[in-house]
Amino acid sequence: MIYFLLLANKQGKIRLSKWYQNFTKKQKTKLQKEVVSLCLSRSQRSCNFIEWNDYKIIYRRYASLYFMICCDTEDNELIGLEIIHHFVEILDKYFGSVCELDIIFNFQKAYNVLDEVIIDGKLQDSSKKSILRSVGTQDFLILNAPETGTLNL
Amino acid sequence: MSLKLHDLITKVRESSTTSSTREIISQECVQIRNAFRKEDTKNRPRNISKLIYIDFLGFPTDFGQVECLKLIAQPSYVCKRIGYLGLSVLLTENEEVLFMSTNIIRSDLASENKFIVALALSSLGNIGSVEMLRDLAPEVEKLLKSQAAYIRKKAALTAIRTIRFVPETVDRFVGCVKSLLSDKNHGVVLGGLQLLVEILKIEPKTISEFRKLVPGLLRMLKSLVDAGYAPEYDFEGVTDPFLQVYILKLLRILGQDSKKYSNQMIDILTQVGTSSGLNKNVENCILYESVSTILTIDSPNRLRVTAINTLSKFLTGKDNNMKYVALNTLLKGVNKDSKSLKRHRKVIVKCLRDKDISIRRRALDLVFGIMNKKNVKELTQELLDCLPKAEHDFRFDITAKVCTAIERFSPDDQWQIDTLVQVLTIGGQYIRDDVIAIMTHVTGRNRGLQYYASKKLYNSLLDDRYRNQKFIQVAAWVIGEFGDILLKKSIEENEPIDPSQIIDLCQIIITSSRNEDLTKYFVLNTLIKLSTRIEGYNEPIKEIIKPFMKHVNIEIQQRACEYFRLFEDKELLVFSFDRIPVKDDNLETQKIEEIEENSNQNRNTNTKVQENSNNQLSPNNNNNQNKNKQEENELNLMGSNINISQNQTQESSSIENLLQLDFSNNNNQNVNKQTTNTQNQQSNQSTEDFLSDIFGTNNNPNRSVNNTQNIQNNNIQNVMDLLGTGKGNGTGMGRGNGFGMGKGNGTGMGRGNGAGMERGNGTGMGRGNGTGMGRGNGTGMGRGNGIGMGRGNVNSQKKNPSAVIYNQDGLKIQMNFKLVSVNGTPAAMIQSTFTNSTQTQMTGLFFQVAVPKHLQVQMAPPSSKIIPPNNNGKVTQTFRIIKKQNIKTKLTMMTRIQFKINGMPISKQQEVKNLPLIF
Repeated sequence: MIYFLLLANKQGKIRLSKWYQNFTKKQKTKLQKEVVSLCLSRSQRSCNFIEWNDYKIIYRRYASLYFMICCDTEDNELIGLEIIHHFVEILDKYFGSVCELDIIFNFQKAYNVLDEVIIDGKLQDSSKKSILRSVGTQDFLILNAPETGTLNL
Repeated sequence: MSLKLHDLITKVRESSTTSSTREIISQECVQIRNAFRKEDTKNRPRNISKLIYIDFLGFPTDFGQVECLKLIAQPSYVCKRIGYLGLSVLLTENEEVLFMSTNIIRSDLASENKFIVALALSSLGNIGSVEMLRDLAPEVEKLLKSQAAYIRKKAALTAIRTIRFVPETVDRFVGCVKSLLSDKNHGVVLGGLQLLVEILKIEPKTISEFRKLVPGLLRMLKSLVDAGYAPEYDFEGVTDPFLQVYILKLLRILGQDSKKYSNQMIDILTQVGTSSGLNKNVENCILYESVSTILTIDSPNRLRVTAINTLSKFLTGKDNNMKYVALNTLLKGVNKDSKSLKRHRKVIVKCLRDKDISIRRRALDLVFGIMNKKNVKELTQELLDCLPKAEHDFRFDITAKVCTAIERFSPDDQWQIDTLVQVLTIGGQYIRDDVIAIMTHVTGRNRGLQYYASKKLYNSLLDDRYRNQKFIQVAAWVIGEFGDILLKKSIEENEPIDPSQIIDLCQIIITSSRNEDLTKYFVLNTLIKLSTRIEGYNEPIKEIIKPFMKHVNIEIQQRACEYFRLFEDKELLVFSFDRIPVKDDNLETQKIEEIEENSNQNRNTNTKVQENSNNQLSPNNNNNQNKNKQEENELNLMGSNINISQNQTQESSSIENLLQLDFSNNNNQNVNKQTTNTQNQQSNQSTEDFLSDIFGTNNNPNRSVNNTQNIQNNNIQNVMDLLGTGKGNGTGMGRGNGFGMGKGNGTGMGRGNGAGMERGNGTGMGRGNGTGMGRGNGTGMGRGNGIGMGRGNVNSQKKNPSAVIYNQDGLKIQMNFKLVSVNGTPAAMIQSTFTNSTQTQMTGLFFQVAVPKHLQVQMAPPSSKIIPPNNNGKVTQTFRIIKKQNIKTKLTMMTRIQFKINGMPISKQQEVKNLPLIF
């Protein structure tokens, strides 16, 4: 069970955060700070798991971006890494070699992809293809909706 | 003209300072607010998108919450998508607004457009509150049978949240699992597997039913393992590792504690668990999961050995992740596979020195796991070697483990002392408080080592007089306790120590401003004890103590005064500071059990009484909450230790022996008899075998002394005290606390009010005090002596007031009040008695009390939930009210009583005023 997912860059700026437990805004800011600074302070050769309170942070670095998830201690840490990787690969295919800017400017799309990969902290599908297919269809729906013209996001 | 989202982001990114960012955002917020006010529907999606971004930057966005609801209420998919995103980002805190979305979500769940259904399902699954999930559970159940796999997989995950938050809906979903698991779509099966795991967590009884699924799961796993290249589910040559891992995880739960089903799994586990792997993370995670499963279920020995060997391969590899998971998993096999683990000891120990803290932590746990009497010396040494280099936090963990090892696996007493001294000297400031209990225990038990220990500590103390506080405290205690032995034997051993050397050392420590006050308490005690142990040094000791009678710390001042006064009464002095009796090991275990039981009960009370507000992660997480509670509990217990050192709990039958042993001198025996007499008188007065506190009622000025002795009449055979954690030492009984051990009865008595002198009962509290007792012993009493003078105005409340607060429908509630003191704060102990005069029994009794803000109420559970009819017996419930602020008022409270009579629920609420207790 994933309690929250964070995406931050090397400078510690949060680029994406998704919470599967109810937290107040204050708590969120506090947790974010704590977790991000924990992950950023790790040396590259350390393992990708940090024990933190009664939870476990599993993180992985992709170029300048850190992906972090907070799990139960008894969860399989390696599959946690795989889930992160799964998500990253989907983002990569969706945006076409994803970079930090893609996520900054298209955060709604990134959230949308995330909703297709994880619901309530649980993995939804193991097939990248089917996820990309449904995300693609949804974008198509938006593109062709009559309101989109006036929306001009 | 409103800004586009893209432009806003660019603008914010271009702004160089935080203040300019703030300005941009506040301008934008004004515009958005205006647009909302004008009901600008056209720009609403854009405005919400911008708000999401603004929220992201950490600015307040509360005003957009209702607009999100308006957006999702629009029929168009575009609006809904942004609206739902807004819902999940902006609204999580505000459950009331969130709840307003229930009906919109309900209609979206019934939509014909599967993407709209999916949006509604995802947000229900991600952020749904208890009420929403309860309301929408039927819809979720319906969607589990939807035509589209896309919806089914989402519905399965939403169902998990539903049962997680609303466990009573679990029955609804139990029936659907089977069809989910036989689905063709991997996503749906994944959802089904995770749902089943959750169901088994909530409803463990269903396991026998679900075990029937094992053969099907095994077939599925086998087909995945044997499958060739499957493009859609291929992960670096492995077919759907996620599905494999989740199946293995489920098998682990189903196979646990069942020989039959475990056997069925062996073949496939052998196949998966022995595959090579070790190169790719994907392979490793399956291997890792299968090893966990092998170690958890009832699998044959050879398989377990292979599994452990696989893990040790992980350990020797270079990949730190693998090391970590291996250490983590090996812990699971500690009990059953200690033999095969032994071979890997070296590797494990090596991990203690790893650079990575995560790995070291795991290694520490594991090293402790494989510890036994044979290897304890070696492994403890390893741990101690790591100590100086470890990080601050980690040192606490290491010392805690070392202490437990010393306590639990010690091969001999001398080693125990050596190691204790070693851990104290290198990690003193990181050590937990009960180290002194271990030391007292071992030195008390083994007379031959008393000299050894005191000599060793004395020598180390010469080197460190102010750095390591915990070490100085322990050393001071031991030297004080065994000062005479130290001196006598040192002469025999031809390395004589001059008594004045010891006293000088004490003086240096106690006068040094670098030492903590707590340490000074200990040293004061050492000095006063030495005065009874060594002849002819009373005057120098008095001289040392004298200046402390004006010390700024009230506790030190008080002690100094008390001790100084004690010099006037030699007999009493000797009596008070005689050697602590030896603690009985057997009793210890018995007591630990008792304490555990008590603290469990205490925990229950805590659960009811205390709201847990500092829970860091979330109110929904039980684990965390329990943990916190436990901590609180520990805190309580620790707090109580402080009291206990002032107490003495004795068995009345053993008291005479004890005293005889203590007083060889005739004069002293007189005193002793007098004391015992007083005790007896008092015990006679108390008809119940509660502990009774004895209050010295003598008028003789020399004996205007209060003895706080709690005598317990049941068969607990020893006397314990111990300076315990120290804080409360030596206060004497003016504020001593009574304490009951076996029964869990006890009362605190306040310094200011003499109420303390009464016989105590009051369950709730006695229980809270549980642990300390195990540690408490003899000295407390001595210290108690001689002080109480003039302090408490005795027994002004001999008769505890009582009042009938409720007498209706045949139910009578009577309350007995008693003033007590909890850690120095005044409190009222209230025992409420429920009797039933009707013909039928009353069930489901639930009694609640609320008090004004300056008070705090803590309730123990009632003795029963059923009140027998015809006044045949009574139910009691004890609670206490603690004063948080010092306001003197008549006690008032609000009570609510709920019970059922003939199945008819009755609930009454009333305010209770004019209670006969000024508080």
